[in-house]
Amino acid sequence: MKRRDFLKAGTAGLAGSVLGSVGLIAWTPRAHAATITKTFYITDGFITQPDGVNVYFRGFSPSSSSLAVPGAQLVAQEGDTVRITIVNRLNTSHSFKIDGVVDSGRISGGQTRTIEFQANNAGTYLYYDARNAPYNRLVGLHGGFAVMPNGSSNEVYAGSPTFVQQYFWVFHDIDPVWHNAIRNGNTPNTSYTPRYFTLNGLSARPPGAPGAHDPAVDAMADPLSALHGHVGDRTLLRVLNPGMCQQSVHTHGNHMEWLTDNGQVRDDVWSKDCIYLEGNMGKFDAIYPYEPPPDAWPPVTTGAYPMHLHTEMSQTAGGGLYMFGALTDIYFE
Amino acid sequence: MDGGGGGGGMGGACYVYPGAPATPGLVTADVTYDLGIDMQIPLTMDDGNTVNMWGFSDGGGNMGGMGGGGGGMGGGTFPSPAMRMRQGQIVHTNLSVDMMMMHTVHHHGIEPADHSDGVGHITWDVANGTYTYQWRPAQAGTYFYHCHTNTVLHAEMGMYGALIVDPPEGPGTLFSGGPTYDVEAFWVVDEIDSSWHTLPWTAGTCGGDVGLNNLNPDYFVITGVDGSGNSAMDLAPISATVQRGQKLLARYICAGYHPQRIRFGGLTGKIYASDGRPLPNPVSVTEIRAGSAERYDIIFEPTTRGEYIIETDIIHWVTGNVLGTTRTNIIVT
Ligand SMILES: [Cu+2]
Ligand SMILES: [Cu+2]
Repeated sequence: MKRRDFLKAGTAGLAGSVLGSVGLIAWTPRAHAATITKTFYITDGFITQPDGVNVYFRGFSPSSSSLAVPGAQLVAQEGDTVRITIVNRLNTSHSFKIDGVVDSGRISGGQTRTIEFQANNAGTYLYYDARNAPYNRLVGLHGGFAVMPNGSSNEVYAGSPTFVQQYFWVFHDIDPVWHNAIRNGNTPNTSYTPRYFTLNGLSARPPGAPGAHDPAVDAMADPLSALHGHVGDRTLLRVLNPGMCQQSVHTHGNHMEWLTDNGQVRDDVWSKDCIYLEGNMGKFDAIYPYEPPPDAWPPVTTGAYPMHLHTEMSQTAGGGLYMFGALTDIYFE
Repeated sequence: MDGGGGGGGMGGACYVYPGAPATPGLVTADVTYDLGIDMQIPLTMDDGNTVNMWGFSDGGGNMGGMGGGGGGMGGGTFPSPAMRMRQGQIVHTNLSVDMMMMHTVHHHGIEPADHSDGVGHITWDVANGTYTYQWRPAQAGTYFYHCHTNTVLHAEMGMYGALIVDPPEGPGTLFSGGPTYDVEAFWVVDEIDSSWHTLPWTAGTCGGDVGLNNLNPDYFVITGVDGSGNSAMDLAPISATVQRGQKLLARYICAGYHPQRIRFGGLTGKIYASDGRPLPNPVSVTEIRAGSAERYDIIFEPTTRGEYIIETDIIHWVTGNVLGTTRTNIIVT
């Protein structure tokens, strides 16, 4: 699907007061605060990894019969009231927490809980299950939450450099031994050794591989992950790391404007081709400026480039399979 | 540009995209680098053990098994030969690879047209011929170049070199309008897991667990020298001797995958640029935390005679444990 069509459909269907847009984040600012609602079902199941291994996950899912890792993107604007209903379909206890914003506390197996909070501070947040930390979060109970500045459609915080489109990039790393221990109700007792690496829940599939170009499995084809734009389409990247590994996020084609680091607005905006991403819930915001690639000769305005983690172990799956890890593509259209 | 499929066994390699077409828009270059491939570069460590490295050799471009060509034998160094040119010059990097294998050159931080970016899955992995990467650096600064085929392995094996872009004023000025310097040091810090160094260039690409998710380094190098003991002490241009009143520019490249922390042994430096881009305001530091492939340009103006030990800790990406440390020194007279 062409990005332009997708953007149009997304804006028409999801602008305003509905939480949980799909694709890149669709957002239209409102003059008045709203109450916005979302229901998550805590479910579990298996997700097949690029080497064919089925790994156990839990997720904040859209229905009792589905499994979503990460959970749906949530977007609100400052002043909104957010009402989240959590239906725990498992028999283990879980929670819904956004650091500094809301904590549901324990939601026992089979229980349903509705929490309500005010979206007060513009920024990028991880929502996650804080119980049995970090295990429930690692096994898939996490997702991205964004608060837009009041009345603004193009800033990450009031007065920030502006953008014209925005994406979440949720990076994750997976140790199947730990996932299996958690499935069996045990506390992992092996040293953490990640074997799979995902972006917005998907590993990449290089051209020619089974599943390549299928947005359901290929992070390079996933409209939530791959960047599509024309020169001038400045793109906000809301980068979150629910995993354990420290990462280095690297873009080709353009440097990124590094705006925030772990929720703090940086003193100066630096232009970086690699940005350090802390493990254990590190985050940053950056703008991919979609300027003509500066070092091309003759000059160009179109092309395709990768985004990948330069912590290159994260580009593998199951100990090999380079390019089946956490990477996507960036299209200058 | 999908590379036209490319899955399936190519001499034991999968998901590679062999090619060496004519470069679009080729013009006469101001500066040309001819690179071949050398897969047999012995690196002797302080403990007397030798680890095999791979690299680019100076003076490739001759096919047919000539020494220093693309035949995988001879002429290479670790790190690979430095590239140094001036901002605005048109550069050709001619990479010659024979029919037995595939490699690319990605000029990291340089942002050319995609056909000159050296990313296999977007364009091609150079095989059985010579490909010319054409680019024109727009901004003076510190970059590096590395292979982008089965990158997790090839870059770890040592297939990288420094890439320095001088401003039109030439060496001695970091960037136009930026600081001048009298002495230059190169701190390219990397970790080596010697258990990876017997793998073939195709390792893991067709699947199977070859351990590329798990980098357990046993050697720690700075600019091609074992940095764990005294080998990089008093060894220019890693170490530097500076008179009081002179300015030292240290070009620090985090060439490994695990994060690093570099400490200046009591000196305070000023970061003027990172990732080949000037900072809006220089920042005074006594240490820097860096992620994979980040670069920092630091100016020291020492005022007190003495020896200062520059130590870089290589830190495990999950545990945060210090895995090893490289050392060099600055002598102030
Ligand atoms: Cu290579
Ligand atoms: Cu790189």
